[in-house]
Amino acid sequence: MPELRKDLISGRWVIIATERGKRPSSFNSTEKVSTGGFCPLCAGNEDKTPPEVFAYRPYGSQPDTPGWSLRVVPNKFPALRIEGELDRRGEGIYDKMNGVGAHEVIVECPEHDQTFSSLPVSHCEKILLTYRNRIHDLYRDRRFKYISIFRNQGEAAGASLAHPHSQLIALPVVPKRSVEELAGAREYFNYKERCVYCDIVRQEKVQGVRIVSENQGFLAIAPFASRFPFEVWVLPQQHSSSFEETPEWYYASLAEVFSDTLKRLTITLNDPPYNFMLHTSPGNEKINDYYHWHFEIIPRLTKVAGFEWGSGFYINPTSPEDATKFLQEALPALSVR
Amino acid sequence: MLYMEELQDLGYEVIAASNGNDAIKKFEIYQPDLIILDILMPGMNGIETMNIIREKSKDIPIILCTAYGEYKQDLNTWASDAYVIKSADLAELLTTVNRILPI
Repeated sequence: MPELRKDLISGRWVIIATERGKRPSSFNSTEKVSTGGFCPLCAGNEDKTPPEVFAYRPYGSQPDTPGWSLRVVPNKFPALRIEGELDRRGEGIYDKMNGVGAHEVIVECPEHDQTFSSLPVSHCEKILLTYRNRIHDLYRDRRFKYISIFRNQGEAAGASLAHPHSQLIALPVVPKRSVEELAGAREYFNYKERCVYCDIVRQEKVQGVRIVSENQGFLAIAPFASRFPFEVWVLPQQHSSSFEETPEWYYASLAEVFSDTLKRLTITLNDPPYNFMLHTSPGNEKINDYYHWHFEIIPRLTKVAGFEWGSGFYINPTSPEDATKFLQEALPALSVR
Repeated sequence: MLYMEELQDLGYEVIAASNGNDAIKKFEIYQPDLIILDILMPGMNGIETMNIIREKSKDIPIILCTAYGEYKQDLNTWASDAYVIKSADLAELLTTVNRILPI
């Protein structure tokens, strides 16, 4: 059973795999794992995945057979285990608990050679609605306090397989980054009685120099203090603290801006590796006035090195205003309906 | 060699291969009922070897047996039927072999 261990000083939780660990010498290995050949996520290879927990498939078709347009399966070799109790305990001054959680893979389409940005907008909507459905389902398990959804595109971003997929990890604790974001948003709200993200949306619309894409429901911006070149956030224009509590009809609008933003990044940066992550309120404070869910998209163009690790400062060689100009020029603007 | 002897003691007929290319050749010649592959091997690694074998046979059971847990993050490993962490105690490997290919 893996363990979750808490760093006493930073409050950060770490997943420790208790199986036999990596030998020091192997960290220097430059050997790369092949991503070609047989793909266990392709249509027709359903027997290579665990049984699906959700799928879009024609009415009457059998689970775990071809015909699907999107599947969700538990991770075959998960980082956390779904079964068991948390068993929170101390070891001297240290805190730890069993590595309980859910780890699922969202297979975004049956075709191997697609990417999120090459899929039709209506299919992107299906993917986003699937995130919503899975979050709702997993929060029925009261052990889970936070659900992290993320996508790794390209080897440099951590993807091991080219087949389009994103991942979901349901955690028994709220991660430190989320705790810090919530605290910052709460502090701003306590001072100004306004959501900081709503203020950002308003300011960006007034200034108009960091808007990458927008429609009536959503705004994609290069954030004022972008840590990385071409970092983009996608936010609802109206206040909304919880991704999964957003009304279903909103997701078509989200898919339009999300897909448009990824297309702009793909064109401008020549299909870059990237990560995107959902930032949303934890399960126990879904509805609030101070936090505003959003996606963060980080193209992997620079490496985080000693200065960033040591100081928490980031050196961004491309200003968000310049990044915005490049991204705006990639495609005509969406019509703001 | 240790695995070979243990499996032979249990009644399995075992063919050893010295690397990935050799494993593919022997797979084609002998058509075994089960393949056990290490991941870090000289030349072609175990995942590349498995991918080539999978293109020839989707159904041959494959166990990845490696000293390293972190390859579990690589979704290519899903093409295998089991992922076993190498240990001096062969119980987990033998249990897995017996589950997939009972005597």
